[in-house]
Order: sequence, then C-alpha cells, then structure tokens
Amino acid sequence: MAQNISPEQSGGAGGGGSKHSDDSMPVKDNHAVSKRLHKELMNLMMANERGISAFPDGENIFKWVGTIAGPRNTVYSGQTYRLSLDFPNSYPYAAPVVKFLTSCFHPNVDLQGAICLDILKDKWSALYDVRTILLSIQSLLGEPNNESPLNAQAAMMWNDQKEYKKYLDAFYEKHKDT
Amino acid sequence: MTSLDPAPNKTWELSLYELQRKPQEVITDSTEIAVSPRSLHSELMCPICLDMLKKTMTTKECLHRFCSDCIVTALRSGNKECPTCRKKLVSKRSLRADPNFDLLISKIYPSREEYEAIQEKVMAKFNQTQSQQALVNSINEGIKLQSQNRPQRFRTKGGGGGGGGGGNGNGAANVAAPPAPGAPTAVGRNASNQMHVHDTASNDSNSNTNSIDRENRDPGHSGTSAASAITSASNAAPSSSANSGASTSATRMQVDDASNPPSVRSTPSPVPSNSSSSKPKRAMSVLTSERSEESESDSQMDCRTEGDSNIDTEGEGNGELGINDEIELVFKPHPTEMSADNQLIRALKENCVRYIKTTANATVDHLSKYLAMRLTLDLGADLPEACRVLNFCIYVAPQPQQLVILNGNQTLHQVNDKFWKVNKPMEMYYSWKKT
Repeated sequence: MAQNISPEQSGGAGGGGSKHSDDSMPVKDNHAVSKRLHKELMNLMMANERGISAFPDGENIFKWVGTIAGPRNTVYSGQTYRLSLDFPNSYPYAAPVVKFLTSCFHPNVDLQGAICLDILKDKWSALYDVRTILLSIQSLLGEPNNESPLNAQAAMMWNDQKEYKKYLDAFYEKHKDT
Repeated sequence: MTSLDPAPNKTWELSLYELQRKPQEVITDSTEIAVSPRSLHSELMCPICLDMLKKTMTTKECLHRFCSDCIVTALRSGNKECPTCRKKLVSKRSLRADPNFDLLISKIYPSREEYEAIQEKVMAKFNQTQSQQALVNSINEGIKLQSQNRPQRFRTKGGGGGGGGGGNGNGAANVAAPPAPGAPTAVGRNASNQMHVHDTASNDSNSNTNSIDRENRDPGHSGTSAASAITSASNAAPSSSANSGASTSATRMQVDDASNPPSVRSTPSPVPSNSSSSKPKRAMSVLTSERSEESESDSQMDCRTEGDSNIDTEGEGNGELGINDEIELVFKPHPTEMSADNQLIRALKENCVRYIKTTANATVDHLSKYLAMRLTLDLGADLPEACRVLNFCIYVAPQPQQLVILNGNQTLHQVNDKFWKVNKPMEMYYSWKKT
C-alpha cells in the first residue's frame, strides 16, 4: 500500500514541502489547525493504541514527540523509537515533517532520521493523522521498500535477516546513548 | 467448516458466524433504533477537521462527506483525489452539496452554537490538563526528591503546616501545585506506589465532565469507527478493572500503576481554582507521611528506598469533607506469620511496608482487596506462581506485640475508634489468610 519515495523529491501537487515554511497563514486558520491537533491528541489519549504514543513537546501544540515500538516478529521487535512531528500551518492539508530522533538502521531511513515514505509526501491525505502516520511508520519498519533505499547498506543487508539482526544489535549497542 | 453442496462448480464455505446468524428484523417506518452518541458522531463528523459537518459536500462518485470548506481547501492544496478513498476528483464539480444531510444534523443537534460551546469547553478543560502535564512532572520529581531526602531529614511535629515541603526548595514549590489527575503520563509513569483517594464531591463533579467528554471522544476515521469503538471500550477497562477489585463506591480508591499505559486516565482536569484549597491539604499529606515515618522503628527506616515514596496524590480539593473523614495507615507484614523467608515478603523486599491514606468509611475488606490488587500489580511477573491469589487477614495493634484480627465489615473509622485512638497513622498488619 504505502509506497516510499525519496524525501528530497518534493511533493507532486502543490501540498508537499513548499508549504512547510509558510508561516503567513491567517490566525483564524491557525486556530483551526490547533483545534484539530487538540482533537487528535484527545482521541489518541482515549484510544490508548498499543505500540504507539505521541504527545506535544512542551507547550507548542505544533511540535509533537511520538514513540513507536518495533513491530513484533520483525528484526526491530523489542526496540522503541522516538520521532519528532512538526506540523505546518497548513496541516492537515499538508503533511507534518516526521523524523526519527532515535537512530534507526533501516533501508528507508537515513542516518539523520529522515524517513522516505510516500504518505508523508505526495500520497498525503488530509485524513491521515498522528495515529495513522505512526502506524504507517511502524509497519514500514517491518516491510521496507528496498527499491529506493535511503540507506543502501541496510537495503543490501535486508535479505539476510539473521545477519541483519546481528548487525542491528551491534548498531544499537554503539548508539545506545542517542 | 461445513461446506454445503450446491451448484456443481461452486462450494460455499460458510464461516461460523454465517452458520449461526439469524435473519435481521425488517426495518419499517415505525422501527426505533438506538444509536450510541459516539457512533452517531462519527457519522456526522468531517474527517478532515474532525468537527461536525458544516455545509456538507458529498463526492459524487464515492459518496464521502466533508465540510464544504474542508474539501475545497483539500482539493486546492493537495492531490485531486478523495481524501478518504483516493478516487479521482477532477474539480469542485465532482462534489455536490448535501442539504439533506445538513437537515439531518440540525434535527439531531438543533443548536449548533450550543454544541460548539460544549466542544470549546471540553477542549479548554483538556488543554488545561495538557499544560498541567509539565506541572505534574515536576510535582512527581519533587516527591521523588523528597522521599530521597526524607531519611536524612529531621523535623519536629510542630514544624508542619505550610512548611511541609520546606526540606528542599524544589519540593516546596511543587507540593503546593494543584494535582492534575487528568494529566495521565506523569502520574502513571511515576514508579512510586500511589493511592488516589477521591472524595464524593469531587467525583461527582468529574463524572459530569466525563459524560460530555465521552460523547465527544470520537474515532479518527469513519472507516475505522468499528475498530476504535472496540478500543475505546477496552480502553475503559484498565482503570475500571483496577478499581473493581480494590474499591467500591464507598471507598473510591483508585489504583494507579506504573504498568498502566499513559492514557488511561481521561478525566479532564479540575479547574485550577483548587489550588488554593489544595494547598493546606497537600502540606498535610506531606506532613503525614513524615509523621508516619517518625513512628517507625529504626529497622524500618532503612527499608525505605526511593521507589517507596508513598505520598498520597489525593484527588481534587476535598474542602467540604473534614480531615477527620480520611485516615492514614501504615501497613506492615505480620511479624510472626509473615516472616522474612516467606515467599511473598522475599519478593516484596523493601516494598512490604505500605502507607495508605483513604476514606474512613472504607472497610477492612476493601483494604485487604486493595492490598491484594496492589501487590499483584507491583510484583507482576515476580510474584511466585503459588501466591497469585492473594488473600489477607488484617490486624491492628492496639499495643505493641498485641495483634487483633479484624472483621471484614468494620469500617476503618470504627477500627480507629475502637483500637487506635492515638493521633497518628494507624498501624495495621497483614498476613496470609489460612484457608
């Protein structure tokens, strides 16, 4: 379903990257955005979803920190990842900027934490929300798209899952502090 | 699975449900169907702004509904496709206004202003909770610090009152802050053992906001409404199941546990106007826990660890109820029945002594149930298989070395009057129930 594309590639139609820097939105719209984010937060807290969580980072409702648990029965099982979500003023008509804060060795995540996922770019829809974004990223962990990797080494290693897991463990041992 | 044997080339595999199901009753004009507010709301909600549909527009081909403003903005700013199902939407002409649906909404919610006012209120409450999050974090930090410092501190009883948290500068500021029970994470994450005691008055006011709130909680997508209905049903479970064992309406103890996921407590926070009323209250409870410590023997002093801070994070300002309606307890293992080589005590280690503050009309039975639940939650996997079902006898010690076993139906108030009388936390003991 969700295809991944390079984050450098700008969103196809209007929406995508260009809007993120747009801070000249009218105040009224801004209110609508924060209203929707508050609703999302409320729903998220009510729904008590397993394996994912998210909360605004401090007082600013436009910046959230989310966590996802590595999906079960994958090499990432047992890991926990922190991500940052930056919502543009044009949210939900434009996607938030989502990045891994925890270093993540994955074919579609680069070493800076940028994620290569189509629904965060040209396949974005106003119906996606924090919950579905985090769930999508969670499932991306277990099902990478090795056709257009950001991390070529990871993509190459993916086929040998045993070896991959071994490398992964060593990787996290090395990046423990981050 | 049974397969029937119909047409030659086709075998019909019926699922268990299909085999069992009965035909539905015919729906006629006079049929009344009850719809829960939540599922109704998910039908009437715009999936883009998550608000109630305003000037409904329906996609002509796939029949998905949005607010006029929302879908127009979406089409202008994004892909030319239906946000819900990605069906191509060439332009605004792929949409049609849906006045009938607007009419339906106005029948169900005649006053949109009123509805929006309630919404705003709920959001405002929620925001408060959320900004109190940081506050709660710092409160918990303060409590932790205090419990670390406590063994080294020396304090005379007279020092009490407002100086309750004076031991460290951090604590003083934190302790005075209003508790925010709606802000879940911090409370839940704090690994200390907490027991929330809600008095009747505050509970009632909460249940009001709660019901509004419940109507407004709403699945994110209409597409996932079924799934989220289930999650929100089960979502109520952690807190209520924790409650059911430990409390009845009489006691209203609420067990909060580190293992509870962050979002369990969903009640919007009380208005901050409590801060003034909770100030003395809070100081009281800090003082109390110090007092209880003073009453302990030296051997118990070193049992204390950082994690053992049993400060009560009480409910919202219970000014109406006097302090006399609450009772403080120190719970210790029975000195002879529960000796140190006992399986449970070994598992509990330093956590075997418990400090509890609760309403005086809780009974001894409530207490033993609470204790069983609390210990099970704390120990989790560490609990030896043999003692999964915990059953306790409760004793009180009117004089040292003299333990009196208590009847289950006595209230703590009665016990206190009968056996304790002294103005310090009642010391109680627990042991296995011999069956």
